[in-house]
Amino acid sequence: MSDPTTVMTNEERVVYMQQKRKQTQIRDTMLAIAGVLSFLLIWEAVVMSGWVDSKKLCSVLEVFRLFIVKFTDINPDGAVLLVNVWSSLLIALSGFGLAIVIGIPLGWLMGWYRGFDAFMRPIFEIIRPIPPVSWIPLSIVWMGIGLKAKSFIVFFAAFVPCLINSYTGIRQTKEVLKNVGKTFGASNFTIFWKVGIPSSLTMAFAGIKVAIGNAWATLVAAEMLAASSGLGYMILMGRSYGRVDLVILGIVVIGALGVLISLLITRAETYLMRWKKV
Amino acid sequence: MDKKKQVILSLRNISHSFIVKNEVKAAVSDVSLDVYDNEFLVVLGPGHSGKTVLMNVIAGIEKLVEGKIYLRGEEIHGSNRSIGMVFQSLNLMPWRTVMQNVEFGLELAGLDKKQRRLIAQKHIDLVRLSGFESAYPHELSGGMKQRVGIARAYANNPEILIMDEPFGALDAQTRYAMEEEVLRIWKEEKRTVIFVTNNIEEAVYLADRIVLLSNCPARVKHIYDLSSLGRPRNMMDPEFLRIRTEISQNTDLAL
Amino acid sequence: MSGKHAIQLSQAEIREQRLNLLYKILPILSVLLLIGLWLYASRGYNPKVGSGFPTPAAVWDRTVRLFTAPVKKRSLIMHALVSLRRIGIALAFDWTFGIVFGIIIGWYAKPRAFFSPMFDAFRAVPPLAWIPLITLWFGIGEFPKILIVIFGSLASIVVNVKAGLSTVDRMYLDVGTVFNASPMQTLIKIAIPSSLDAIFAGVRTSTSAAWMVVLAAEMLGADAGVGFLISRGMDSIDMPLVLTGMIAIGIVGAILAILTQLVERLICPWTRKSK
Repeated sequence: MSDPTTVMTNEERVVYMQQKRKQTQIRDTMLAIAGVLSFLLIWEAVVMSGWVDSKKLCSVLEVFRLFIVKFTDINPDGAVLLVNVWSSLLIALSGFGLAIVIGIPLGWLMGWYRGFDAFMRPIFEIIRPIPPVSWIPLSIVWMGIGLKAKSFIVFFAAFVPCLINSYTGIRQTKEVLKNVGKTFGASNFTIFWKVGIPSSLTMAFAGIKVAIGNAWATLVAAEMLAASSGLGYMILMGRSYGRVDLVILGIVVIGALGVLISLLITRAETYLMRWKKV
Repeated sequence: MDKKKQVILSLRNISHSFIVKNEVKAAVSDVSLDVYDNEFLVVLGPGHSGKTVLMNVIAGIEKLVEGKIYLRGEEIHGSNRSIGMVFQSLNLMPWRTVMQNVEFGLELAGLDKKQRRLIAQKHIDLVRLSGFESAYPHELSGGMKQRVGIARAYANNPEILIMDEPFGALDAQTRYAMEEEVLRIWKEEKRTVIFVTNNIEEAVYLADRIVLLSNCPARVKHIYDLSSLGRPRNMMDPEFLRIRTEISQNTDLAL
Repeated sequence: MSGKHAIQLSQAEIREQRLNLLYKILPILSVLLLIGLWLYASRGYNPKVGSGFPTPAAVWDRTVRLFTAPVKKRSLIMHALVSLRRIGIALAFDWTFGIVFGIIIGWYAKPRAFFSPMFDAFRAVPPLAWIPLITLWFGIGEFPKILIVIFGSLASIVVNVKAGLSTVDRMYLDVGTVFNASPMQTLIKIAIPSSLDAIFAGVRTSTSAAWMVVLAAEMLGADAGVGFLISRGMDSIDMPLVLTGMIAIGIVGAILAILTQLVERLICPWTRKSK
């Protein structure tokens, strides 16, 4: 068995390795495109064969067409696409923002100061096992249908992961690093601020990503149960009016927005944590 | 005991390098070496000299870039049942008990359970870990874990056993005890052993011959023949100390 | 006992003792505070009209009544069992299909490149967004509900299994190389066992995800299950029922979490921090 690398010079080896790497990248990209195309083709084939009732599945192109149209058409749910998007985003971001601002510092405090932990623990342990969606009926009965209720629900969905992750993150602060602070005569609070918090940021960000996923999912549920605008509501309307294309469009837009927000958060994370080895 | 020395493993012009960020970093540079049957050969070199790379190449973990390796006269490529290895850092599989870890090679070779148990038990007894067959690695001390690694490698019945700095992570006391253990096991089950270390004292204590490597990229600086020192070795013996000093003066520093 | 010397505690030790006592009292204080808040918030409760926040007594009352006067012919426990049955079936599918699929795309590069984009795209869609589509296709029977739960929890297990198999420690693979393991042996005897903890993380995550999704699916159209109970309470402005349901949900969710942890500890006794 002759190995191509054994008879090359070192420069030739470098070039060879570079070529191999590029080949693998191209192969993977081709496979990825093939995967997506196969899916779309199967979809189209099913639609065109008429095997499925046209009420249940529409062509890919129709979804696309609707996407364009929906920018100006307010049927059948009563609002243009962007209005729905904005409505959903607004609630998601406000509830989510609040959860970050409260949840993460709270997690830090609970993780660092025993007294805090002892006091907040029971409250937290009671809230934790209750899934966010089950807060929906309660909040509706309490606060009626509207922005307040939905923000409340989204807040709860995002709050728990933020808190758990910042708590775990700061609890994992290396003993060694804390001791370095002590040998410099730093107070407990200073060590908390300058050592504990920075070293917990990785986990905190992981928590934020989970939180946004939860928040987005819960928001869709809330909109379906009790709303008059928003993407979840739009999908529901699509269902009521038998408009499959609207339903699918809604699904695609919701998914795409979720990915976008996730990407933005990852960007922020990479920027804030430039010191981390990738 | 003075039989004619047979060459079991032959390395010819081995060179190996890595490509790091589009640059070539040489690790091993033109190493040629003969290893005799049933000898205890120590490969000695400063830290990061490329010794582990050389061993990985012989064991088949790294694909050879340049040069040839001959086992009993035949060229070999890649991993080989005749060459076993005891690893530097613990790669006992944590989800397997001691017995299952020792059985590993036998399991891969397809032996049936009864046979495996028999062979594995023999080797567990050999390294003096009888009674710990159902323990998990996390319950063992560092020295015990390395003994499992040795048992696992021996159980596979290789002709050549590579031990890549197996005692590097142990404290000094355990290390001395393990050096004794290795020699005892080697006497009981004669194999060719290639033992890698950066500790000169350890090298002189254990070796029939010492191959001294240079700093990275590794080249053979000198081969010392220690057959003049009898066994068991005495670290306070003047001859022992003389050789040790000679070697240490010849060694490159890793700084 | 008389006659013994009293042990002199240093200042620091006395302070520590006092603090420890404080830490024991604080949780009790906060629970008392919560109960106090509840009682305060429910002071305007009028059971006849159903206005205001229900008192603890009202909730307890309602819970008991659930057993004697079942909603839709089922007691609380039976509703819980209905919900559990749904996630049981969904998770059974999830774990069999998901683990196999996760192993394939985690271990083999080509399937990973092929399937990942579409899989990630589907994963990005919140599970509940699928409900209208699925009900459009399959109506509102048991099957569509279970399908919704599958959509909502499959991703968790696949992602975890994939992560486990694509990050097998190089050391273990080297051991396999030296011992001449075939590629299939490497997969079965090295890669998969070393990923067991990731697989179990997937089991835990998918279980809690399934629990959340089933509740939402039940809220949007069912006549049995704990989610249904809550939405029934919402529709008939029966707040005590809503709260009863929420408490039941919390308890079952906690039990599920504990169970999955127990199973993990049973099957993987070697999972320790010391590596």
